[in-house]
Amino acid sequence: MKFFACIKQVPDVYAPFQLKDGDLVLDTDRMMLNAYDASAVEEALVLSEKHGGDVEVVLIGPDKAKETIRKALAMGAAKGHHIHVDDTSGLDSAAFAKILTAFFKTVEFDIIAVGKQSQDTDAGLTGAMLAQDLDLPYAANAVGLEINDNKLEVKRQADTAQEVIALPTPCLVTCSNDMNEPRIPSLKGIMTSKRKPVDVKTLEDLGLNLDDLKTNVAKTSVTGYEPVPERAPGKKFEADPEELVSTLSDLLQNEAKVL
Amino acid sequence: MSSLLVHIAITDGKIKRSALEVLSRSREVASANGLSLEAVIIDADAASFADDVSKYGASKIYTVSNPAFKNALNTPVIEALSKVIEMANPKLVTLASTEATKDVVGAVGAKMDAAVIPDVATFDLADGVVKTTRPVMAAKVMAKAESSADTVLVTVRSGSYDVSESPAEAEVVNVDFDFDEGGLRQVLKEVLSSSGDKVDLSEAEIVVAGGRGLKDENGKKLLEDLADVLGAAVGASRAITESGMFPATLQIGQTGKVVSPQLYFAVGLSGAIQHVAGMSNSKVIVAINKDPDAPIFQYATYGLVGDLFKILPLLIEEIKKIKAA
Repeated sequence: MKFFACIKQVPDVYAPFQLKDGDLVLDTDRMMLNAYDASAVEEALVLSEKHGGDVEVVLIGPDKAKETIRKALAMGAAKGHHIHVDDTSGLDSAAFAKILTAFFKTVEFDIIAVGKQSQDTDAGLTGAMLAQDLDLPYAANAVGLEINDNKLEVKRQADTAQEVIALPTPCLVTCSNDMNEPRIPSLKGIMTSKRKPVDVKTLEDLGLNLDDLKTNVAKTSVTGYEPVPERAPGKKFEADPEELVSTLSDLLQNEAKVL
Repeated sequence: MSSLLVHIAITDGKIKRSALEVLSRSREVASANGLSLEAVIIDADAASFADDVSKYGASKIYTVSNPAFKNALNTPVIEALSKVIEMANPKLVTLASTEATKDVVGAVGAKMDAAVIPDVATFDLADGVVKTTRPVMAAKVMAKAESSADTVLVTVRSGSYDVSESPAEAEVVNVDFDFDEGGLRQVLKEVLSSSGDKVDLSEAEIVVAGGRGLKDENGKKLLEDLADVLGAAVGASRAITESGMFPATLQIGQTGKVVSPQLYFAVGLSGAIQHVAGMSNSKVIVAINKDPDAPIFQYATYGLVGDLFKILPLLIEEIKKIKAA
């Protein structure tokens, strides 16, 4: 089987940041492999180790994003594809899906695994949009994958239950980070990753144009940032357990009136 | 007249409260913009919900009924919603954000060439521009996302708006929807129901959630006993669903469920930002933690600093007394 994982480079979302004139300014320029995509890579690697085949990864981004492709190669992916775009600002999920659609028309694949969302925007749209554009059956929010009779069996987390859905190949699956613990690349993995091939393409190579993507394909934009609305300050009590419980009981009944 | 179309999410034979929140807010937005408020129900037995939906002011209700919707597969829902969007030609489509809607909005957006803004905390429409705010960067900041596309799909986090009724005479349109299940590429093989879901977590009025501080089966039992006396749903932090103490369906947070109950108990739970992202819309938050510096106290309406193994047994007895009174 031929596995592809779509990966994204994201800023460190746990790093401190400031809001300056409605803009988000991070204290670090540290970039990382999106954690959900790392789970997609891991799961593809596990399946390829079990059932044969290999894993390739594809990423859209500037030069700096190469380090994230190397990370996936160090984990065990066989080949990287870098769709070189210097400045991805102004591109939304629909535009990323359009670029990936053009890319997947140039390669052979059986299973595409993507993270269910990216840690920076938490949008979770690109996978389903890509599946729709490529006319692939797909399942979202996978927490476990198996291959049986050449079908991909996806255990997915639904609203109140888990469902097992079988997909014929070629297909697409979006992965939760609850499905596995992505491996830490070994020293040997890091060394060999430097010799693994990374194929670089431009948007023009894929028959696309950045201005057209920004004006005609992207339909949403982010115009700024604002602080999360604060909750009204609460009350904190330190006392013996009996007193704590009687205080709480009184407040829930007479102040908050929720009991 | 252009329209605002509201998708009415049905789970386990009931209209989701979060769908009514979205419908109530959508009524205000439609009225401010001179749009007709319309609703779409997609379910194996969609027509049976039309009466209930008309209490919230929709002037037209599209019902799409087909046995294919029983099987929890995305393709028939994508087809059905796309078909109704074509019929209604709405400026704005609003949906409650659930796993089921997350499963389809991206595909519907791509299929219909519509814009999609997912998981918003607020939405509005002015001069043809849909304006939203949505939490990003691990829910530490709100992004202002907007779109001026001809059709915009917006999914809304639960608890973002209050439910209010405004009964109206609605025209019910039963949509013809033939679907060849034999042509489906996906097959639903199995539904694994989770043992913990006595009360649907995302709909519960009271949620009792535990974290690492529960330590072991004793702590788990205390949490479940508290939930029992309160008639509450049980939730958990990522740390203890990963340890296997609770099923993953009960995980609350950025990668799990978003809940917005009237009353939320955070028990032995530090309040990592990933968890808070899933519960900070709760009306009243009670935190019980022995560490006075635990971040959860920043969000708590009432914070109790102390040992949960001593506090919970007393609290359970106290609530039994209140319920008996």
